[in-house]
Amino acid sequence: MHNAERWADRTTIHLPATAGAAVKLLGELGSEGRLLAGGTWLMRAPMTSGHYIALAGIAELRQIEIGQDRLRIGAGASHAELALALDGLDDLKGLADAAGGAANPAIRRRATVGGNLCTTAFAASDLASALLAAEAEVTLITPAGTLRQELAIYLDWRRTSAAQHHLLQHVEVSRRAGRRLCHARLPLRRAGDYPVAMVSLAAGSDRQGRLADVVVAVGAVESQARRWPALERTLTGQLPCRSAAITCAQANLCQFAGREGPEVPGWYRQQVLPELVARAVAQWAKAGGQE
Amino acid sequence: MIGQLWINGEWCRHDADPAAPLHRVLRENLGLTGSKDVCGEGFCGACLVQLDGAPIAACLVPVALAEGAQIVTIEGLDQDPVAQSLMAAMEAEDAVQCGMCFPGMVMTLTHLLKTCPTTDREKVKRALAGNICRCTGYERIVSAACRAAKDLVAADAQKVVA
Repeated sequence: MHNAERWADRTTIHLPATAGAAVKLLGELGSEGRLLAGGTWLMRAPMTSGHYIALAGIAELRQIEIGQDRLRIGAGASHAELALALDGLDDLKGLADAAGGAANPAIRRRATVGGNLCTTAFAASDLASALLAAEAEVTLITPAGTLRQELAIYLDWRRTSAAQHHLLQHVEVSRRAGRRLCHARLPLRRAGDYPVAMVSLAAGSDRQGRLADVVVAVGAVESQARRWPALERTLTGQLPCRSAAITCAQANLCQFAGREGPEVPGWYRQQVLPELVARAVAQWAKAGGQE
Repeated sequence: MIGQLWINGEWCRHDADPAAPLHRVLRENLGLTGSKDVCGEGFCGACLVQLDGAPIAACLVPVALAEGAQIVTIEGLDQDPVAQSLMAAMEAEDAVQCGMCFPGMVMTLTHLLKTCPTTDREKVKRALAGNICRCTGYERIVSAACRAAKDLVAADAQKVVA
């Protein structure tokens, strides 16, 4: 049972109006201050005492800008807002699917892009996987100034002591002609679950319709989403067919050690990866009319 | 510290901690027990309330972040024509079982029927992805939602004719 006394008069929630004010507060509060985005992760356990800096009122963090060659997502945009904004953009369908398929509708309305990427304890972030495959970059505000990093670097950096007191401001994705992003996920239930494994694939194609410039990311299998470089090399030059996808994935499967969890054992997460790679490749082919 | 929330069309004052989950403040400080305290992780949907018109998991919202928003709980839907039509359809389809999940189900489906009046079984199932019924009575709930959608469309058509 929950106990109301646990929350009694122990917390202060600050509501800064700008990202700069939030970072300033974070610096002033030191180790007592924590950022609070959508709250969908922090609120799963009683919040510990201290100061929380809520980002919900910062309008600049919620903007999503879609340009011809670039997508910029404010860290405060919710999953639902992102999915809606990307609706109909074929090259970014995998990102729309990741945002629109995560968790359940009520969580998607609250959970933010930034919160999802900053939460180190959350292994099953759909957005981390999809944005890794999209080779996204993040922009951070730190007390020392603005910092831009590749998402792949950021996911490691956020766990270090150097990452204290930073605010993720926005995420940027380059849009390149002929390139498509797909996202395949495996939840235990068809709805409302975090997936046990997911694969995101971004690729273009050569004149023969073979996969080119392949980027693959895997999420939920290990404690943090990461790219699968060996598979990227193996898939490059392959026709986008199921058998090739499964063969290539199986040949490189040993590069993952599945995370043990109450919902599935680690080996299961690893063993479903070839099927998810095949599904991602099938989505990619279908989106390009190569079904 | 005194907080103030706009709930079901009126201001409500409370003295809960700012980080307390909204559903607990509704239940324990304000006596609005329709929002249920079940999973506490946003997965079961039993605590859903509408925040500025959209259903959200109240267990995941610190009460301080609900200040300034329009909150509607199941208790506030008693005069809502869409919710009334839905509840009538629930009764007609014999969809109600233990009742634990129902306030959340009604919150989700009322929003769906308002935002997507021409709904179908697939859309209803997608909308209910975050509402878990431990009695597993989903099919009759889905049927009731579809019945309510038809009733509402028919009622609208009658208004146009009249």
